[in-house]
Amino acid sequence: MNILVTVKNVVDVELNIQVKNGAIVQDGLQYVMNAWDENAVEATVVLKEDQGASTELVCIGDGTATVAIRKAFAMGIEGGLLIEDEAIKNVDSASYAKILQKVYEQGDYDLVITGKQSQDTDSGQTGILLAEFLGLPCVSNVVTIEAIDDKNLKVTRQADGNKEVIALQLPAVITVNDSINEPRLPALRGIMQAKKKKIKNLDLSDLGLSADDMAASKTKVLEYQAPQSRGAGQKFEGDAAEITSQVVNLLATEAKVF
Amino acid sequence: MAKVLVVADIKGGALKGSFAELVSTANDLGAEVAAVAVGAGVKALAADLATGTKTQYVADDASLEKLTAAALTAAVVDAATQFGADQVWFASTEAAKAAAPRIAAKLDAACVTDITDVQVDGSQVVILRPAVAGKVVEKVEVKADKVVAIVRAGAFDAKEGLVASENLVELSTPEADLRATIQEILTEAGGAVDLADAKIVVSCGRGAKNEEGVALLKGLAEDLNAGFGASRAMVDSGFMPHDSQVGQTGKVVAPSLYIACGISGAIQHLAGMNGSKVIVAINKDADAPIFDIADYGIVGDLFEIVPIMREEIKKVRS
Amino acid sequence: MNPFAISILLILAMSTFVWFVYQKVMLLSSLGKEDRLDNVKARISTMLTIAFAQKRLIGRKKERPSGIMHAFIFWGFLVLGIRTITLGGEGFQMGFHLPFLGQDSIIGYLYLALKDVMEGIVLCMILFAAYRRAVTKPKRLTNSFEAWFVLVMIGTLMATDLLYDGARFNLIQIYESQDIHWFNNPAFGPEYLWTPIASLFAWLMSGLSETGNVIVGVISYWLHMITVLTFLCFLPMGKHAHVITAIPNVFLSSVGYPHTPAKKLDLEDEAAWEDESLGVNHIHQFTWKQGLDLITCTECGRCMEVCPTYVTNKPLNLKSFNTSLKHELFDNMDNIIKRAALEKKLQQTEDEAEQEQIKEQMQALLSTKQLVGDVIAEDTLWACTTCRACEQVCPVGIEHVPRIIELRQGQTLMAESYPKELNVAYKGLDRNSNPWGIGYDKRADWAKGLGITTMAENPDVDYLLWVGCAGSFDDRGQKVARATAKILQAAGISFSILGTEEKCTGDFARRAGNEMLFQSMAEENVEILNGYKITKIIATCPHCLNTLGNEYPQFNGNYELIHHSQFISQLIEEGKIKVKKSVEGKITYHDPCYLGRYNKIFDEPRNIIGSIAKEGLTEMPRNREESFCCGAGGARMWMEETIGERINVNRVQEAVDMKADKVVVACPFCLTMVDDGIKTLEQEEKMETIDLAELVWQTLEKHEA
Repeated sequence: MNILVTVKNVVDVELNIQVKNGAIVQDGLQYVMNAWDENAVEATVVLKEDQGASTELVCIGDGTATVAIRKAFAMGIEGGLLIEDEAIKNVDSASYAKILQKVYEQGDYDLVITGKQSQDTDSGQTGILLAEFLGLPCVSNVVTIEAIDDKNLKVTRQADGNKEVIALQLPAVITVNDSINEPRLPALRGIMQAKKKKIKNLDLSDLGLSADDMAASKTKVLEYQAPQSRGAGQKFEGDAAEITSQVVNLLATEAKVF
Repeated sequence: MAKVLVVADIKGGALKGSFAELVSTANDLGAEVAAVAVGAGVKALAADLATGTKTQYVADDASLEKLTAAALTAAVVDAATQFGADQVWFASTEAAKAAAPRIAAKLDAACVTDITDVQVDGSQVVILRPAVAGKVVEKVEVKADKVVAIVRAGAFDAKEGLVASENLVELSTPEADLRATIQEILTEAGGAVDLADAKIVVSCGRGAKNEEGVALLKGLAEDLNAGFGASRAMVDSGFMPHDSQVGQTGKVVAPSLYIACGISGAIQHLAGMNGSKVIVAINKDADAPIFDIADYGIVGDLFEIVPIMREEIKKVRS
Repeated sequence: MNPFAISILLILAMSTFVWFVYQKVMLLSSLGKEDRLDNVKARISTMLTIAFAQKRLIGRKKERPSGIMHAFIFWGFLVLGIRTITLGGEGFQMGFHLPFLGQDSIIGYLYLALKDVMEGIVLCMILFAAYRRAVTKPKRLTNSFEAWFVLVMIGTLMATDLLYDGARFNLIQIYESQDIHWFNNPAFGPEYLWTPIASLFAWLMSGLSETGNVIVGVISYWLHMITVLTFLCFLPMGKHAHVITAIPNVFLSSVGYPHTPAKKLDLEDEAAWEDESLGVNHIHQFTWKQGLDLITCTECGRCMEVCPTYVTNKPLNLKSFNTSLKHELFDNMDNIIKRAALEKKLQQTEDEAEQEQIKEQMQALLSTKQLVGDVIAEDTLWACTTCRACEQVCPVGIEHVPRIIELRQGQTLMAESYPKELNVAYKGLDRNSNPWGIGYDKRADWAKGLGITTMAENPDVDYLLWVGCAGSFDDRGQKVARATAKILQAAGISFSILGTEEKCTGDFARRAGNEMLFQSMAEENVEILNGYKITKIIATCPHCLNTLGNEYPQFNGNYELIHHSQFISQLIEEGKIKVKKSVEGKITYHDPCYLGRYNKIFDEPRNIIGSIAKEGLTEMPRNREESFCCGAGGARMWMEETIGERINVNRVQEAVDMKADKVVVACPFCLTMVDDGIKTLEQEEKMETIDLAELVWQTLEKHEA
């Protein structure tokens, strides 16, 4: 089984994000591996360990992404591709999927595993679109993977209020939920070895794509805005019945959680 | 005039409230609105689907009981093509998230998820949606003629007085994709919601004191179909199982709603739940650090507050 | 007496002894290298106080009776060593004596008297020891055959010598003869006048006939000599090796104790990753000193008695920890020696094929047991809080904690096996430089509105205030940070903080054996600190203090570290801040391990409390050097404590029992743990825990108002 896993370098969401003049203030930000991609890498490494799968990652990003790539190496991924091109900027998920499609077609893979979404765009489309472009079956939001044999998986996906157990034939694309596993920390020995591992660098032309393909992006972010702040937390003191009723109503109308 | 196809969100044989919200907003934008419903026995909902829509497309077959993303995609694409839809709107569900990108690919449309607002200005469609874990809002321009959108829950309001015009169109049952078939659906038993998956988490701390407190909070969790977590103190004292511990050395959760009951909010606990979208805290001590991060803090004894809260929630939900 | 018999006896015994010692020396020299011969002056001083003056035996109040017992047996051995040589000589020639110790010198008489009294005392001590083992049975002791055997042997040695002297005195009386050798100087009088105990023995035997006394004398002599020589041969085999090794072991113990940092590992060394030599994974990787520690361990159990994990029923029992390692060491003795020889050969050979062959042979000589897992249980290894209470009480200066950290390094770096709860903290450190993983950009939020400058804004200051992660992010810790900053401001001290440039020192990562993460934190911090040319640092966290002050020199970071308790104490002393004796109630103080035992800061916190508490300071039973850990050190803060009683609860119970109103602490970890313990024991209404800085600030406010 040959697995291709996707890794994206995203802004660390633990940090405060400031918006100024329609753009995100980059000062003080740091970039880390997308959390759901950590789950994808972990799921891939588990299949490597249990099934002897061969593993390769692909990352679309710039040179700063090598930290995330080496981290994935240290977690146990064997090979890595970095797709870097000036033209890949403010493009939609479909453009990413197009690039991944070419990567898939150039290689010999049985399974693609991606995180269910990336923490920067929170779109959750790339993996599904990739499957669509490749004409492959896809199961998204997967919470368990079980290999039946070389050609068949049994996966469970988190659906609405229930879980679906799905028989999946390979080749296929899977996008994983964070409850699928607890990503391991990079092995310390792995970190040392990962420093020496080669990352294969490709640009769009290597994949038979051009800047025009990226310009065909169907959505474009015009600007960023600061979210409407809910303000500081509200503290309610006083008559128990009254304040409780107040809070429950705010949860329904303001926070909209019920 | 834009043509908007609204995909019905059906649960337990009933149309969910989000449908009316989407249909209302589409009508407000002056669009021609159609509905599509896919599933087993959805034809029975024809009258509900007609409210505010001109045409109702239904794919109703026993085989759609176990509805795959591929089948939903095929049916919606069929409806959209017949209707000539410019826009396909979904309410935010897992089914929608799985199908929307596929539909967009098949219709050669743009796909935008988790939208909170739509502005249509002539031919330009501009969408607002949160990104980066809700820390920014993206203003997205749709450059394609068609768009498939998933609308965030609660983004739009439902309005009264929509005109119903029943015009049922039956779609052919999509062929099953044998490469990915649903073998079984595991329904989640109430009260035993997995903490990691739960949309709502109720968590109990030292303030719950004893079995009685734990039982009370468990009741709240069951009411909300929520995961039931605990702070380390409750695990140490044996009132709660070890795998229910939320915090630095326990589970890290980030639900839409976290209700911390009798938890003072030591940093070790905060590390396990401060990614939650909305935090409610109930604590006797008005100075407890949990109130610093809570969106809604109730100062009071949980033994007094929680029973009232359960009643109020029932009222709000009905 | 009988030159032939004594010669045979001596040759047999000495060759056996030399063979045993040779084996042990070979074993130790086959273990890892370590330089322990620097700073001889300090070593001699340690040896004199710890070994010769028996400081840790008689210095501890709780253990004083048994300490005195041991000290006298030890001193007795020193005195009687000379006597043994004399007696050996008598085997060849009656009346043999060493230079200056004959009857023509007062020294000879004084020695006789000393030896005699000592023998009497030792005999009493042996009886006391037997009483303890048989009747009072302290928990820390194991009643082994060896222990009894040795007691009996020592008793026999004393008794036979006294009987031998007694019989001799009687025979002199009977014969009134000068033929029997004895001391009799006109100036100093006859020997028996100087030796009351032997005279007592003579008196007890005075009823015996001449033959009877001869028989007792001869049997006593030979029994004494046989016992001495048996004892000598027996020593290197068991726990009584300490009779030989304790003094050198103390002399060779770490001079910098307790500041000595963990060894800085060379993580770039590829060969080390290859042959698994980072940290300790196999018994042969211990250094010769660590081997000597194991041989020297007398299994007295003092370490385990003070260990917070043992006290709270956790599996770490240092006594059996040592014993297990010692057995593993001895079981592999031949293989370790062979392996070391092969290693030497490997370094000499150039031929690659031969190298491979040697490596294979070396591999085959590894113990089949995993050091952690088979010899030491994992739960045992990870239970340690690195509080160093064990090292504080060890009479022979065994260093337990460095060994535990090296074993943890082996587990973390090589075996990738460690408690998984640590991952969250590691990841937090890696990304946001704090163990909770809170966004690093929020590190200085606590200081908002206080008018505190950062180094970037104002580098021209006298002191850097090192806030630490707890002070920066933890709600309670922030209060301590604010109180400290406000006190400094009130005293007009010029200081800045690093703000978002500060990172966790990596203390817990090092203690947990994650040397890689620690080193990266250390390098990053040193770069920032040296960039601002910082020399003086005030820290509120003893863990930061210890790491910055004692461990960063390994990374070219040399700073003068001042704990906030020291600084505030000095401010009070110099009158730069005015405090009033206004704190009511019973105040006790919990010594943080990394402040007290690690950095010997015991008095300053007490001075502060003394100057602000109305009733002064009331000590808990376990205080100062023997303070009881809160349970959070050694990265335990970031692991679950699921086995046995909780350590913090045990500690807080102590404060509850003495009805303290306030438990003052000086460490953010202790603050959390004690606070948690108070809540667990439901004492929130009666007792609170508070940092020194908070308490001082409260009294300052009152003073101003």
